[in-house]
Amino acid sequence: MSVITSDASPAAMVTPPLRSPGYWAGVWRRFTRDKVAVGAGIVVLLIVLMAIFADYIAPADPTRSSMLRRLRPIGTPGYPLGADELGRDMLSRLIHGARLSLFMGVVPVFIAFFLGSLIGVSAGFFGGRYNTVVMRTVDVFYAFPSVLLAIALSGALGAGIFNSLLSLTIVFIPPIARIAESVTTQVRSMDYVEAARASGAASGAIIRIHVLGNVLGPIFVYATSLISVSMILASGLSFLGLGTKPPTPEWGLMLNTLRTAIYVQPWVAALPGMAIFITSISFNLLSDGLRSAMDVKG
Amino acid sequence: MSLEMLTEERDRGGAGTPLLEARRLTKHFPLGRGAVVRAVDGVDFQVMKGETLGVVGESGCGKSTTARVVMQLITQDKGEMLFDGEAVGGAALSLKAYRRQAQMVFQDSYASLNPRLTIEDSVAFGPTVHGVSKSAAIARARDLLARVGLDPARFAARYPHELSGGQRQRVNIARALALGPRLVILDEAVSALDKSVEAQVLNLLMDLREEFGLTYIFISHDLNVVRFISDRVMVMYLGEVVEIGPVDELYDDPRHPYTRALLSAMPSMDPDNRTMEAPLAGDPPNPINPPAGCRFHPRCPQAQTVCAKAKPVLTQTGEGARLAACHMEIAGSGHSRAPKLEDAA
Repeated sequence: MSVITSDASPAAMVTPPLRSPGYWAGVWRRFTRDKVAVGAGIVVLLIVLMAIFADYIAPADPTRSSMLRRLRPIGTPGYPLGADELGRDMLSRLIHGARLSLFMGVVPVFIAFFLGSLIGVSAGFFGGRYNTVVMRTVDVFYAFPSVLLAIALSGALGAGIFNSLLSLTIVFIPPIARIAESVTTQVRSMDYVEAARASGAASGAIIRIHVLGNVLGPIFVYATSLISVSMILASGLSFLGLGTKPPTPEWGLMLNTLRTAIYVQPWVAALPGMAIFITSISFNLLSDGLRSAMDVKG
Repeated sequence: MSLEMLTEERDRGGAGTPLLEARRLTKHFPLGRGAVVRAVDGVDFQVMKGETLGVVGESGCGKSTTARVVMQLITQDKGEMLFDGEAVGGAALSLKAYRRQAQMVFQDSYASLNPRLTIEDSVAFGPTVHGVSKSAAIARARDLLARVGLDPARFAARYPHELSGGQRQRVNIARALALGPRLVILDEAVSALDKSVEAQVLNLLMDLREEFGLTYIFISHDLNVVRFISDRVMVMYLGEVVEIGPVDELYDDPRHPYTRALLSAMPSMDPDNRTMEAPLAGDPPNPINPPAGCRFHPRCPQAQTVCAKAKPVLTQTGEGARLAACHMEIAGSGHSRAPKLEDAA
C-alpha cells in the first residue's frame, strides 16, 4: 500500500506522539494556569473536607448550649468565633453547618443536572413539536423567579430537608434544561452529526457517541454555577423556617436565629452569612474557571 | 478484510443502468405565512456508474440542498430517486442499506469531525453502526487512513484540532469510504483548502475513484476544479437544472445563456487575453418568489416575451447527451433564435 505524502507540517513530523493528550488533559492544563480558579478550587476542597471531617475538627459539640455564655464576641477564650444566642460555640456550628449547606447546594443541582439534561438534550435533538411542547412547559416554570418558586413549593410541601431538596431540584430543572436544549440544538446542526446520520446510525447511537460528549461538559459547567444559588436558596428556606429545623446547625438557619442579635453582636451574627458568601463565591469562581478552560476551540 | 459483509451486493442493474437517477426531485422550505423557498424545484438528473458528475451554480442555487436530498439527510417533498434501478427507501433498498452505498464529504472539514473523538474512532463509527466489531472497524479505519495518506501510527489516535485542514479533509474522505460506498457526494469538499493542498486532495480523489470504482457527485463553485475532475457537468440556477452535458462540450460550447455567463465569469489565465465581456449583472432573484417563465429571463441578454411566459423544459441540444432548458434550443418555442420546427425534424 503506497502512502501518499501528507501535508503535515514539519513540526508534526519531528514529534510524532503515539497517543495525543486529548481534550481533558488540555482542560486540566488550562485550568491549572488560572490562579483564581485554582484558589477557588482549593477553598471548595477545604470546605468539603471540613464538612466531611466536622466531627474531628470542631472543638466543641455544636448543640451544647450554655445560658451563661450567650452572645459572646469573637475571640472569647474557648469560643474562638464567639457564641450564639443560646451560648453554643459558633466555630463548631459553622463547621457542622457546612455539611447541610453543602448538601443542599450540591444535591439538588446534581439531580437537576441529570433530569434537566435528559429533558433538554432530548428536546434539542428531536426538535419539532416535541421540542415545542417540552420547552414551553419548562418555560412555565422558568417564568417564576427561582426564590418565589422555591418558597411556594416548599411552603406547599411543608417544612423539612427532603421537601426543600425536592423543591430546589424542581427549581433548577428548567434553567438546566434550557441550556441543555440550546447546546444540543447547536451540536445537532454540526456536520459530524449529519455525517453520522448519513452513515445510517440510529438516534440512540448518535446521541451517545456524538452528542453527549459535546454537550455534557458545558451543561455541567453551567450546573456548577447553580450550586451557589442553591446554597443561598436553601439557606433562605431555612431562614424562613421552611428548611432545616433547630437545633440542627445550618448556615441559613443560623443567620435566621441570630438576626435578633444583630445589634448586640453584629460580627457574630454576620458569620453564617460570610460562610455562605465565601462558599458560593468559590463555587462560582471555580465554575468560571472550568468554563474558560473548556471553552477553547478543540 | 473485515468489511466484506458490507460490500457483497454490488452492481445489480448492469452497466447501462444509472447508479443514481433523480426524478423531479423537489424540496421547498416553508417560511410561514405561505412563503416558500423553492430550494430544489423539479430536478432531474442521472449519474452513470464510474463517472463524476460536476454540479455548478451560484450560491443559493440549490446545489447543497440537492446533495442533502440525495443523501436523504432531508427528505424530498416530491420526486423519487433510483439507486442502481431500485427506489431509495423502497422495498428492495432500505434507507439503511442505501446509506452504506452513498456517502458524503462536507465542506467544513472541522465541523464534520467530532472534536471529542480520535480520528480513527471517527472513521470507525460508520462500520460499527452496521454491525462490524469495534476492533475490525478500527483495523479498517487504519487501513483507510493509510490509503488517504495519513500514517495511522502517527495520526490514528489524534484529535481533529491537531490536524491541518487538508489532513482533516483526508480523514473525512476516509470516513466516507469506511462503509465501502459506491457513490460519494463531495459537497464543496476541496473549496476551503489552500490551492496546493486542494490539488493534492483532488489527485487523491481521482486515485481513489480508480481504486475503489467510485462514482462522484462533485459540487463546487470553482469551475476550473469542476472541469478538471468531472466527466459531465450539471448547471443549476434557482433550484432548477438549466444545462447538463459532457464536460468539454459544455465548457467549449455552452448552450444556455446562464452557462455562458457563468463560464465567461471565469478569470482568464492569460493576462494578454483578459475577459472583456461584462460579467452577469445583478443578484440571482429570490428563490422565495422566483420569476415566472424561464427563471433566468430577468438577467438574460437574449430574453424575449416567450421567456417570461413559458417555462422551458430540458431539451436535447447539439449532438450527444447535451440537455439545456432554454427557449432558444426548443424548436417552435416562439423565440426568434429558436430552431425552426422543420429543422429540428
